[in-house]
Amino acid sequence: MDHFDEFSRPLEYLSPLDKHLRTVLRTYIEQEIMPLRRRYDEDWKEHTLIEPAFDKIMGELGLQKALFPQEYGGWGLAGSDYIFRFAYQLCEELGRADTGMAVALAVTFWPLLVIHLEPYVNERLIAEFAPMFCSTNKAVFAANAMTEPQGGSDIENMGLLKGRTIRTTARQEGDQWVINGHKLWPTNSGGTARLFGVPCTTRPGSADIDDFAFIYVPADAKGVTQGGPYEKAGMAADKNGDIWFDDVRVPAWYRAHGPGRDAGAFYQLISFGQVASTAFLTGAMMNMYERLYEFVSTRTYRNRPLKENEAVAGVIGRIAGDIDICRILGHEAAMMGDRRNKPYGLPLVSEELVGKIRNIKDFVSDRAVENLGKAMDVLGCYGPDRDWDIEKHWRDIKIIQLWMGGKQLCQMESARYFFNCETL
Amino acid sequence: MNRSLDYLFGTAVGDRGEDAQGVISLVRQWAEKEVIGNRLDYQRNYAVLFEEKARVLALSMGLQRLALPEDQGGFGWHDPGHVADVAAVLSEVGRADSSTGVLLTMNYALFSILTRFSEGREGLVEAMTASYLDDGLKITSCVLPGPGSAGRETPLYKGRSIPALVESRDSGSTLSGANIRPFAAGLRADLFLAVCADEKGRPCIALVPGDKPGIERGREVLTTGLNALANADISFVETEITRESLIQEPEAVPMLFTLLNLFLGGVSLGAGMNFFEILGDWSDSRVIRGSTPLKENPLCASVLAGVAEDIACSRLLLEDLARLVSPSPRAWSLDTEGLYTYAVMIGARIQKGIMRAINRGMELMGSAGYAKEWHAEKHWRDVKTIQSLLCGVGAAAPVKMDTARFFYDCKEI
Ligand SMILES: Cc1cc2nc3c(=O)[nH]c(=O)nc-3n(C[C@H](O)[C@H](O)[C@H](O)COP(=O)(O)OP(=O)(O)OC[C@H]3O[C@@H](n4cnc5c(N)ncnc54)[C@H](O)[C@@H]3O)c2cc1C
Ligand SMILES: Cc1cc2nc3c(=O)[nH]c(=O)nc-3n(C[C@H](O)[C@H](O)[C@H](O)COP(=O)(O)OP(=O)(O)OC[C@H]3O[C@@H](n4cnc5c(N)ncnc54)[C@H](O)[C@@H]3O)c2cc1C
Repeated sequence: MDHFDEFSRPLEYLSPLDKHLRTVLRTYIEQEIMPLRRRYDEDWKEHTLIEPAFDKIMGELGLQKALFPQEYGGWGLAGSDYIFRFAYQLCEELGRADTGMAVALAVTFWPLLVIHLEPYVNERLIAEFAPMFCSTNKAVFAANAMTEPQGGSDIENMGLLKGRTIRTTARQEGDQWVINGHKLWPTNSGGTARLFGVPCTTRPGSADIDDFAFIYVPADAKGVTQGGPYEKAGMAADKNGDIWFDDVRVPAWYRAHGPGRDAGAFYQLISFGQVASTAFLTGAMMNMYERLYEFVSTRTYRNRPLKENEAVAGVIGRIAGDIDICRILGHEAAMMGDRRNKPYGLPLVSEELVGKIRNIKDFVSDRAVENLGKAMDVLGCYGPDRDWDIEKHWRDIKIIQLWMGGKQLCQMESARYFFNCETL
Repeated sequence: MNRSLDYLFGTAVGDRGEDAQGVISLVRQWAEKEVIGNRLDYQRNYAVLFEEKARVLALSMGLQRLALPEDQGGFGWHDPGHVADVAAVLSEVGRADSSTGVLLTMNYALFSILTRFSEGREGLVEAMTASYLDDGLKITSCVLPGPGSAGRETPLYKGRSIPALVESRDSGSTLSGANIRPFAAGLRADLFLAVCADEKGRPCIALVPGDKPGIERGREVLTTGLNALANADISFVETEITRESLIQEPEAVPMLFTLLNLFLGGVSLGAGMNFFEILGDWSDSRVIRGSTPLKENPLCASVLAGVAEDIACSRLLLEDLARLVSPSPRAWSLDTEGLYTYAVMIGARIQKGIMRAINRGMELMGSAGYAKEWHAEKHWRDVKTIQSLLCGVGAAAPVKMDTARFFYDCKEI
């Protein structure tokens, strides 16, 4: 194999933007991210190095506009039938360089998809928020503020709990929503995002999906307080912190779609997040392969290149084989999302699609966690060395296995679908 | 957590002498009062905590003297009869901080080897002991055989490349080798304990004071864990070494590996036990599905069980390994080679077990496991670092080859 691009992916699945996007992104990534990424960990708080790279990729290159319709200055991709595959490629390419950057960008799409993806389109809100993202060359971020102090998994466990555990409340007063609550950990919090999508409840303790509300809150609205970023094991390019909503008022029409439909639109997000997560992982693993290739070709055991030793070859062969399989699975997951409107496809809210995509993400996460750990072991005393990049991916991707409701929720959603479990 | 670790992870405490018990409880107090209780204050700059607290432990409390010869003012725990106690002490240290555990491991390994091969080196033992007795924190850095570079043949230690070569001169020898990655702590090491090859390619150990002319240190290497033990590549440029400081006895290098596997097994086990406590606190209070305590969910409970099982089994393995290494009429006898094999095999198993426990336990902690605040992630990074450093290049392939060679008499691997 001559190049990491040769890891398998079903060629008939590639989006029409594939070739162009790859060329442009790689150029940006090689120039803006690769030379600096080893210093990102120390930049977790200030983002002095990270911000200019975001400005280039999101602002200058314009990726933050991708979802918005062309008439608002966007690229119109949310309306295309390849949005999942486009996102997969974008997240994989960025994940190859830095999964923290990849998640910051992908999560910017996340709350915006709630108003963009058929059958849940809200033209008025699209027109409202388009200028924030489309009329600037500086990076602008959005956040999807789901997780609360008592737990993130339950909120994502819509299939079972239907929003019953959400404590952030929305109360309608005249033509405004009044929001109170405490969220934590959202990607692009910690002072980064300009816009939050906030899942809340209009009736605390209710398991009626009509009481689930998804409401947009500008970060500078009165009553919004943000804490500084948390210090984490990795993912320095993503800031995460606390957000407090204290009698925050937004116009009533900032609610995404209304009773019942908010829950449907929100549920569509889960699979998008899982597909993007899979792409971060295959991207990171492909970069691991590049670095591993160099190591096993140039370093020796018994004075022979490591890769020519059968025992080591057995390990690295499995690692590369897993990447190959995971990449096929990742593209399949993306394609499942893009088939949503086809007669043979499944709607994004179907339990089958949610279960199958969560399953792929869970599978690929496990392979990534194990293989990056193994790759560090292959490097031996160089494994923990920042200069070999593998340890950074190892630290960064562990959270991908754990976020979005945790590993166990993935297992439960798979079981729920495959075995028709009724109480899990 | 309302039950003690000793109760949960039963240990053969009966075999332990009073002295050992005393040292262990002293270290436990240090761990709890000085480190575990203060972690949040030091979150931003853990290296400062390390410096301060390691000093308290090593100097004020005397742990730096633990393996120094008794007749010179040490505690005399350098002999094989004490390895189980040393490993147990290092577990207590590792529970607080792996870096401090690794620091002490290196020092203990040094004096265990030095005193074992002290014949004809009495002057050196005395001088080294004196220097480790004074009031500075002493950092020993091990240089182990590891990956070689393609196109450059080196002498081998069981397949691993030996990076430094010794050349005899009239007055002693010189040591040469470029861009070598020490195990840890290369940047500020007071002494290098370097595995090197003599002119016949035989593995031996050179003890090289860090301030000798002819030692070049590269820039600080950023690493996944053990960051307090700042590491750097080093080059020996015809560094002079005295005759006594070259240990050519064939058992020396296998013994070094044996001790490192045992002692670092202790350190990682300690880190794993503290992770267990952190996870225990989390699972006591976290609620999922709106109202179910996390630990009462059967799926989460089965993950918790896996964590406990890995830690408990690792502890038993560590104690068995310690028993094998201690000279005891009750244990079956292994020669140096057998002991070495058991040590690397069990050592790798312990690291793998603890790593798996932490990796899986983190699953249950969601974001908390990933936040520095909870400290789970620090154990995860530290133990992974120890595992990668210890088990060798090729994902423990050298350990597998050692094992196959011993059990199946392989000749070519
Ligand atoms: C139930 C059964 C049915 C069988 N039926 C048939 C049959 O119908 N036709 C037939 O021809 N044979 C048959 N066999 C034989 C079987 O195919 C061989 O035993 C098998 O292929 C292993 O080959 P081997 O014994 O030469 O061992 P090897 O191929 O020498 O393998 C021995 C070990 O070395 C490992 N190994 C092998 N090659 C490598 C390598 N390149 N690098 C690293 N490790 C390696 C293997 O994983 C294995 O662990 C059967 C065996 C069984 C048990
Ligand atoms: C870098 C990073 C980025 C993040 N980005 C975002 C973001 O953009 N938006 C956001 O809202 N949050 C975000 N989070 C938070 C993250 O999604 C949550 O931490 C995650 O959902 C898990 O929630 P928790 O930590 O509260 O754990 P808990 O929900 O308390 O879960 C604890 C454990 O219980 C298990 N569990 C939960 N429910 C069940 C069940 N029904 N059956 C069996 N086991 C179960 C879980 O799998 C987990 O192992 C991010 C976190 C990080 C670190």
